Amino acid sequence: MKRVLLSLATLWLLSVLVFAGGRMLPGDVGRAMLGPFADQKAVDVLNHEMGTDRPLLVQYGGWMAGFVSGDLGKSYAYRAPVSDFLATALLNSAKLATVAFLMVVPLGIFGGVMAALYRGRAADRIISVAGLSATVVPEFVSGIVLILIFGVWLRWFPISATWPPDSGFLTQIYYLILPSVPLVLILFGYIARMARAGTIEALDAEYTRTAILKGLSYPKVIWRHVLRNALLPTISVIATQTVYLIGGLVVIEILFHYQGIGSLIYTAAHKKDFPMLQAGVMVVGALFAVATQLADLLYASLNPRIRFGDME
Amino acid sequence: MAINYRLLDILRRGRGEHQNHLIDGLVSGRVSRREFIRHGSVLGFTAPLLGGIAGAVGFSAATSKPALAAMGGTIRYGQIVPAAAIEPVKIADGGGVTMLSQVGEYLVLSAPDLTAVPVLAESWAPNSDGTVWTFKLRKGVKFHNGKEMKADDVVATFDRLANPDNGSNALSVFTGLLSKGGTRKVDDYTVEFHLDAANGNFPYAVSSDNYNAIIIPTDYAGDFEQNMIATGPFKLEKFTAKVGASFVRNPDYWGKPAGPDRIEVSFYDDYQPQILALLGGQIDIIQQLPVLQGVGLLNDPNFDIISTPSAAHQQVHMRTDSAVFKDKRVRRAIALCLDRAKIVQGLMKGKAQIGNDSPFMAAYPSSDPSVPQREKNIAEAKQLMAAAGMANGFEVTLTTEKYLEIPDFAVLIQNAVKEIGGKINLNVLDQGAYYGDAVYGKSPWLDSDMGITDYGHRGVPNVFLAAPLTSTGTWNSAHFKNADYDGLVKTYIAALDLDAQRAAASKIQNLLLDETPVMFVYFYDFLTATKKGASGVKPTAMGHLMLAEASL
Repeated sequence: MKRVLLSLATLWLLSVLVFAGGRMLPGDVGRAMLGPFADQKAVDVLNHEMGTDRPLLVQYGGWMAGFVSGDLGKSYAYRAPVSDFLATALLNSAKLATVAFLMVVPLGIFGGVMAALYRGRAADRIISVAGLSATVVPEFVSGIVLILIFGVWLRWFPISATWPPDSGFLTQIYYLILPSVPLVLILFGYIARMARAGTIEALDAEYTRTAILKGLSYPKVIWRHVLRNALLPTISVIATQTVYLIGGLVVIEILFHYQGIGSLIYTAAHKKDFPMLQAGVMVVGALFAVATQLADLLYASLNPRIRFGDME
Repeated sequence: MAINYRLLDILRRGRGEHQNHLIDGLVSGRVSRREFIRHGSVLGFTAPLLGGIAGAVGFSAATSKPALAAMGGTIRYGQIVPAAAIEPVKIADGGGVTMLSQVGEYLVLSAPDLTAVPVLAESWAPNSDGTVWTFKLRKGVKFHNGKEMKADDVVATFDRLANPDNGSNALSVFTGLLSKGGTRKVDDYTVEFHLDAANGNFPYAVSSDNYNAIIIPTDYAGDFEQNMIATGPFKLEKFTAKVGASFVRNPDYWGKPAGPDRIEVSFYDDYQPQILALLGGQIDIIQQLPVLQGVGLLNDPNFDIISTPSAAHQQVHMRTDSAVFKDKRVRRAIALCLDRAKIVQGLMKGKAQIGNDSPFMAAYPSSDPSVPQREKNIAEAKQLMAAAGMANGFEVTLTTEKYLEIPDFAVLIQNAVKEIGGKINLNVLDQGAYYGDAVYGKSPWLDSDMGITDYGHRGVPNVFLAAPLTSTGTWNSAHFKNADYDGLVKTYIAALDLDAQRAAASKIQNLLLDETPVMFVYFYDFLTATKKGASGVKPTAMGHLMLAEASL
């Protein structure tokens, strides 16, 4: 309960920060929308229509009241309910994150465990070095290279991740494979490292030696005793990366022409579309809060040694 | 060159004083055929009449016939995502203009060769002093909802745009020119525009240059994005905000039916993904390609580049009331440091025309070509600096926006003035920060000592002459105040006659060369990229993309 209240307080603070931060930037909303060369009269009328000429506190109060009652307001730029855009963007982001997730989690864990099992040998070095190297390549570099090779040259995959209207499930996945790869490259290293460290620790543990000595087969030891303990830290890494996968993919979304929540927030900030920006940031913030809570719960349920009571 | 006076007399009948004066100019050789066609189109000569008169005077009347487009097929193009809802009254961005051009039409098209081409208006003519312009509308034009377009729709369209209560983006064109109530119906197919001040180039104010002015029905309720009811050769099939749109051929179109069955539009946040999509064959056309981003495509044999000459440019202002720039000799010296030909070749890859420090680019019919081009001359620049008591150089901050090639242009200027001991510090801002509140005192754009600002294309130089340079101009970054200049601009704008416009233009060009409050170094072309062999793709430098005659 305490943790939930803490999350809510954080979210409220976030809303104040986003609201105040946006308004402190130079230039007003009407001017940002109509451009520097528009007539001042037109700008004034637009500001009045949108209510952006009201005092800041009144604007914040109005927005907060709406937000709490589930009304995210209307986009300044698109003059349509924010919730429509947000819902589509969230769904898109979730789809991309899922595809990337399904690719990187098994790969990362498998790679990490293999590296640990072959510790110090060639396989370990290759996995560790390749994983770390891939992590530091920015996604706009790997993305462009992938597009050039698989989209332009070989033409195996579409360059744009936006599938044609009315596409089926498999087609959508096909469109999402290429943009998922840069994410896999970035996250593989993290996950593999955590999995490797956890596995090594578990392999060195007394209970593993006991399990081997009591005559269990090696695969059984790995499966029943090592992995269960080794993957605990990996889970929290994966959980925090979920939010990155959903809310932090601005570059990938722009490069692969995909309407996710990252680019939604980015363009909203750029255009001073405050209702869109606030709603987007709040949703990502809420996701972050939920994901970390879930990670803790998952961690606790997998590890009987930890219970929230003890933590508090 | 034999002149057919009998035919000419017949063609002259019923023409006004200014129209006949223009014909006199053609006959006497004072006006070239090209200039005659350009200015004649503004004065309301129809295309057949222009051809007929030119033919009677002995010029070849033949005009090139457009290639016949193959019927059918889908054209897929990419463009920058519209910045706001597609709403003709309020649209203020290039992405929105491109969308409008798929479904909408104007009374007049401001063509790439700067002629005014009749579209929904069949002809027009001014009264003797250019304060009232009468437009005859095309008959048999239907909106996409089946209703016929009549004078009431035109009056409603312009009243809506000129009404300050609507937040109309067209106010920047209409303030001081056309007020609400100034557009009056004469009959169902005739409209009069009663102007607030005489204007010799008024047809451009109701043309595609004033991109908000597509004709929409009287009962328009502000929900354009829902169905996009207008008169164009395509009609809306589906629009998804931030994603794209599709259009289908309008079977009831008044003109020749569109070639393509469908147009599919994808919106992009940036240029690089569009280039990749073109390379990968996912789109056939990139509506606009900035030269810096498009360098790779410019020389790629698999793609064609359509280079549309335009009046778009980047003004370099020098604040005439600042310590460094208050002496006009210093401003002139700085302008003399620039090697314009090199800048056009290096920075703009040759896709630009050299400027001569006034808005009168060579392609405007009213520009005086006899005004000498300013060339790089360091010796003269040094003399001017010495005469101004600044032989030891100067230090100033150049503030500008992160947009297209402007930051690189700023570096070129920074390096060029080193030759006369000038030290320029650069302050490159995000566009929003640079323009600020866009009013004096709250905008680096309008308050900085020196800056570079991007200006979009206009078919006539009126806007460039007024707001950034007149004493009361609202975009006067240079804080230039010169009564002679103000008077000349007023004369120029009111002049109906090409000779009178030229006379004023010549004086303005010379005055601006002498004063140099703003450097106009180049006018850059508008580039559109297509798949190899695409034909009939018609972009305008304002951002329209007309695809009715396109085929791949």
